Amino acid sequence: MKKENKFKLSLQAILTDLLFWIYIFGCVSFLMDRWFEKAIPGNFVVIFGIAAGLISFVLGLSAGRKVFLPTIRTDRKWYKSFWGWSVFLILFITFVVGWNLVEVDLYKLFTKFRNAGGIMSGIFNPNMDILIVCLTALAETIYLALLATIFAIPLAFILSFFAARNLMPKTFLGNTVYIIIRTIATLFRSIEAIVWAIIFSVWVGIGPFAGMLALMIHSIASLTKLYSEQIENIDPGPVEAIKATGASTIQTWIFGVVPQIISPYLAFTIYRWDINVRMATIVGFVGGGGIGLLLLQQQQLLRWQNVGVIIWLIAAVVWIMDMVSAKVREKLQGM
Amino acid sequence: MKIMIELKNLQKVYATGTHALKGIDLKVKEGEFCILLGLSGSGKSTLLRCLNRLIEPTSGDIYIDGINVVAAKGKKLRYIRRKIAMIFQQFNLIKNLSSLTNVLTGKLGYSTLIHSLTFPQHKDDVKTALENLKRVGLKEFAEKKTRNLSGGQQQRVAIARALMQNPKVILADEPVASLDPATADSVMQYLGELNKSDNMTVICSLHFLSLARKYGTRVVALKDGKIVFDGTPVEIDEKKFKEIYGEDAEEVEIR
Ligand SMILES: Nc1ncnc2c1ncn2[C@@H]1O[C@H](COP(=O)(O)OP(=O)(O)OP(=O)(O)O)[C@@H](O)[C@H]1O
Ligand SMILES: [Mg+2]
Repeated sequence: MKKENKFKLSLQAILTDLLFWIYIFGCVSFLMDRWFEKAIPGNFVVIFGIAAGLISFVLGLSAGRKVFLPTIRTDRKWYKSFWGWSVFLILFITFVVGWNLVEVDLYKLFTKFRNAGGIMSGIFNPNMDILIVCLTALAETIYLALLATIFAIPLAFILSFFAARNLMPKTFLGNTVYIIIRTIATLFRSIEAIVWAIIFSVWVGIGPFAGMLALMIHSIASLTKLYSEQIENIDPGPVEAIKATGASTIQTWIFGVVPQIISPYLAFTIYRWDINVRMATIVGFVGGGGIGLLLLQQQQLLRWQNVGVIIWLIAAVVWIMDMVSAKVREKLQGM
Repeated sequence: MKIMIELKNLQKVYATGTHALKGIDLKVKEGEFCILLGLSGSGKSTLLRCLNRLIEPTSGDIYIDGINVVAAKGKKLRYIRRKIAMIFQQFNLIKNLSSLTNVLTGKLGYSTLIHSLTFPQHKDDVKTALENLKRVGLKEFAEKKTRNLSGGQQQRVAIARALMQNPKVILADEPVASLDPATADSVMQYLGELNKSDNMTVICSLHFLSLARKYGTRVVALKDGKIVFDGTPVEIDEKKFKEIYGEDAEEVEIR
């Protein structure tokens, strides 16, 4: 092993150990607070953690060493070693803390079923009188998902070329464009559509338009990433051959790249529409209009029979979309 | 006779540090059928791909038909490239398009974007493309997707695409290396025909001496990025062969 490499690995190991033990003491402190209303003060958590981490590292027993410096004492079975027990301890303590934080209450789960009686009977006795209203809202949802997809396609299509490593020249400009588009796409994708919906419902007002914009932004980001990864996987041979005929860059992309990606693009796009219809119902909940908004209103009015109709409709649409999109994608595979 | 291709002290060092071409000086006359020989890694592909700037030479000069290739940029480079057709070992057709469309792409260097997007409407282009397909014996395959063609047929479509460029020079990088001997010979016959009847200058890398002897008017051999032999095919005897391919090599003839 190289010297600097070993130093780096040791550093990673010791950091792991410190965090490992600070976390354990933090958990212990939390549990003591919950059960005995007596937490360990924060600075003690840190001091104890660092002490325990350093001791276990120096003694060569730690989990950090096990992970990053694998030459040390690998021969023992895990239950005979200190690191094994400390990993067991951290998992166990995490589980206990989780149970407490989530307020798991099996008693409620098994004794309070009657509370859900209203909604359950509503689901099985849907109020068909509001079917027309619901269908209108459902159409709103499906069309907003469709429009979001349609608007996203051309933008993502164009952006994907500039977000493909193999198409961007290895110049400063090429790299910059690539990195900027990739970073923005990743950033926008990691912001959930529901967050976008909240933003746009303030911006353009509650309703399907806000939902459409939210899904569109999210779709552009997702499709750009999927599309450009597809471009990065194409066969470079035909692209070179086209370039060698004297074609311009645009011609090279149109004739060398596009034919290779068109069928996976279609598959992704249909899959995206499928996802968008699902997300459109959720997005409706936070002001994105459509059936989601209706569901929220009826739920808050405790109109369980109306909620019942809506739930059935959503289930039916999701089920149908799922089937249709699977079928179409299957057909596209052979192209 | 006129000099068609001229290389002066051509060097290529890849980003990895590999010195693939170490000063190549070469003049190829119009109408020559020049075979490139050399072991794997000797720099044949690198040389061919420098000629149409698919890769950038590190230093040196390239003149094709009197035009400075290294200095060319943008439109100028496109105009040079369309006169130089390239044939690849892996054919490099667009597999889910028809043979006809693939052949039409040979016209891209001559076409504006709008024109190229409406190729099927330009009857004269389609007519030329069909003639070129006919020339390589594939007229009835025009509408077939090239993925459904055999290797030899695909390479012939690639030759038709090259013809569409109406080229002065054909660069062929191991055009028959993925084909069986009989098919290889028939593909080479098409290249030979273009060389003889259309007076196209051909530079073709090969691995088989037998094909080199049959079709080449000249043989240039590379070793470690340098030219180690330049002469006619018949001049390659046992001794020259060992110089090119190393002491342990045995001549394997595939006819
Ligand atoms: N893109 C590249 N990046 C870095 N080095 C490369 C690249 N392409 C080729 N080389 C190196 O340059 C040298 C010459 O390669 P080249 O492909 O030109 O040889 P060749 O004669 O065509 O061989 P073959 O008969 O196997 O096709 C080799 O050492 C190869 O490893
Ligand atoms: Mg090669």
